[in-house]
Amino acid sequence: MDDMSEYAVRITRLNYTYPDGTRALEGIDLDVSPGERIAVVGPSGAGKSTLLLHLNGVLSGTGSVRIMGKSLEQSNLQQIRRQVGLLFQDPNDQLFCPTVFEDIAFGPLNLGVPAAEIPHRVEKALSDAGLDQSIRSRTSHHLSLGERRRVSLATVLAMDPAVLGMDEPTSNLDPRNRRHLIEILSGLKATLILATHDLELVLECCSRTVLMDRGKIWSDGETRSMLSNAQLMEAHGLEVPLSLRKAVVGG
Amino acid sequence: MRHNFIDRYALLDSPLHILEPRTKLLAFTAMIVAVLCIPVRSGSLFVAYFFVTAILMGISQIPLNYMVGRTLVILPFIVLASLAVPWKGYLGLGILFVRAILCLMLLILLTNTTRFVELLRGLRRLGCPQILVLNLGFLYRYLFVLTEESMRMKQARDCRRVGRAPLREEFRILSSMLGTLLIRSFERAERMHYAMLSRGYSGEFPVVSPKRFSWHDLVFLSGVTIFIALTVLWH
Amino acid sequence: MHIPDGFLTNRIAASLDVVSGAGILYAARRAKVDLSGRIVPVMGVLAAFVFAAQMINFPVLGGTSGHLIGGALLAILLGPMAAFLTMATVVIAQALFLQDGGLVALGANIFNIGALTCFGGYAVYRLLGGGSARGKRMLLAGFLAGWASLIVSSACCALQMSLSGAIPLRIGLTTMVGYHTVVGIFEGMLTAGVLSFLLKVRPDLMKLNDLGRFGAADWVGATLFVAIPAAILVLAGSSRLPDPLERLLAITPLLSGGTEPAKLNSTARYLDYLVRAGVFVLLVLLGFVASLLGRHRRRRP
Repeated sequence: MDDMSEYAVRITRLNYTYPDGTRALEGIDLDVSPGERIAVVGPSGAGKSTLLLHLNGVLSGTGSVRIMGKSLEQSNLQQIRRQVGLLFQDPNDQLFCPTVFEDIAFGPLNLGVPAAEIPHRVEKALSDAGLDQSIRSRTSHHLSLGERRRVSLATVLAMDPAVLGMDEPTSNLDPRNRRHLIEILSGLKATLILATHDLELVLECCSRTVLMDRGKIWSDGETRSMLSNAQLMEAHGLEVPLSLRKAVVGG
Repeated sequence: MRHNFIDRYALLDSPLHILEPRTKLLAFTAMIVAVLCIPVRSGSLFVAYFFVTAILMGISQIPLNYMVGRTLVILPFIVLASLAVPWKGYLGLGILFVRAILCLMLLILLTNTTRFVELLRGLRRLGCPQILVLNLGFLYRYLFVLTEESMRMKQARDCRRVGRAPLREEFRILSSMLGTLLIRSFERAERMHYAMLSRGYSGEFPVVSPKRFSWHDLVFLSGVTIFIALTVLWH
Repeated sequence: MHIPDGFLTNRIAASLDVVSGAGILYAARRAKVDLSGRIVPVMGVLAAFVFAAQMINFPVLGGTSGHLIGGALLAILLGPMAAFLTMATVVIAQALFLQDGGLVALGANIFNIGALTCFGGYAVYRLLGGGSARGKRMLLAGFLAGWASLIVSSACCALQMSLSGAIPLRIGLTTMVGYHTVVGIFEGMLTAGVLSFLLKVRPDLMKLNDLGRFGAADWVGATLFVAIPAAILVLAGSSRLPDPLERLLAITPLLSGGTEPAKLNSTARYLDYLVRAGVFVLLVLLGFVASLLGRHRRRRP
């Protein structure tokens, strides 16, 4: 049944158990409005990545997941995947074609974009991701990690998704590449769901944060107040980010 | 482990390099088959093919010592074949050697004047089953990732090694290294599958490749065809 | 073990090209049946794994070095069909990247290193009960599968080359098969070793499925696929060779260089003897192993 609400993402009572029996997600409720940027934080193993994989039906548990009002079902997964883009943690997993061009073209081609339009899409995706056009014919293993991250982003942006899920986008990036990526993220118009350990990134980009631990959501609210709550942070294996600590100490 | 055995000379700029991959695949395969069909007695044909191959080697700009170095690959087989001299005579061995070298040189010319990705595209458009082309593409793409991982594992192991362990222990270590690499490969394949699904993969791999046949290709193909036809008629 | 161009007669090379080509087309068709497409990235990454693993050399008999071929291991993990496609990919890549093996000889190399190791190894594994057994018995089956795969593969390779007149039969067979029998022990040990490692760390990977089930029809098909060319080769060398075929072999270029039909017969008779002896030895070995396993089973409470 379609829901005519205005939410970009509507997750209700989502539960997921791995084939070997471990419970990964328990009773997840999450509503995200269009254009909103939220962060999902929590210790390792909290289920952040697993949650992201439910956004486009790669994994499916019990409960309901709605994207742009449409409920995820076997029959409409292709449609959903037009609208939801996922950026995975390791660029090597996303860049599997022999050249960058083919990697970026892969998504649009699968969606049925006519061949004549593909070069334009690739060009736009590359510039949106802050990359030079000359990178098109290169092979991904010749690129630096920062470049690979951005190419991965380009592969997802080429599909023009309304919702973007990202798993640790700034991990292993040096300061300059990290800054560059944050600039790009700030310019994106899609609804953003960032799963990350980088709490400074969260402070900069996301006004709302969700705290996950052991498969459940423990807190969902305004970023600054949540992240400065030392008790909450420590109870779930996190720390108050440095910039907030100075403020707390100073104040 | 060096990675430069792939595409090492593929980015040069010679008359052979700019040819379309299909042209080269067809032409060089035809030449190799032609060489293998040269009747044993006709030395003159061998000479003709030798000259043509040498000319092609020259214009390819691939270093000669590299090409000669590659002949090491057939050395063990030549050694085995030399044991047949009592039955076949030195002439027989010599002919075998010439045939093998000619075919090897032609193969080197084909593979070293073409970027591997171009070669794959050419194969696909010549009708090679898609799954084979896909596998080759993935192999090419992930070979480097895997060799880096295995190098790192080897280094990590070497750091912890003191002297030589007994054979049994060496095997256990090698098995666990290979096993770990294997597991990581499976896990990577799974994540790759998720990434593919997320970008709309539904079992088929779409292909877009621009048609780039030019007059160069026409000239080269006709040249090769005429040459082979002449040699066939000569015999 | 990758035969370069020029060492096989055109007939043998061409017929193996056709056989391998047909095998690949068939396996490719079966791959399409896997609708989720999950097997595709698995085969791709494992092809890279095999290629990379084959470049890791370990010392054998001080001086020479060997490497894991992996056909039997892959067949045990993925099923023979997917394993065959993967190994075929590796063989083609080795020819294109390293010129290890010729272009026209690709069919022969794919057959030897792809089909024989995968199907042969898998057959040995299943026949020894590897499919349903666990623990030591499975590991032993894996070891023998790996070992057998190399012996069969190298024997066929040597046969192809000697029947092409490139190498002498007796010496060629002895050296190639002899060498690979020894190296095969390491292949077997590594196969068993990796399987044992997987059992401990990721037992769920052991249950990965084939492209569809490997049913009775597939067994028949696989046997024919492997047996027919093998039979042709053996018959070609046998003294029971009918005249026209003998003359056919005699007029191929290399053979006309020196080996006369008369000599072919005497070496062919030796081959007959060798094949019979080999089969006998294999049976004895299997019987010995079976009795060992039987005793092991009875001793457990």
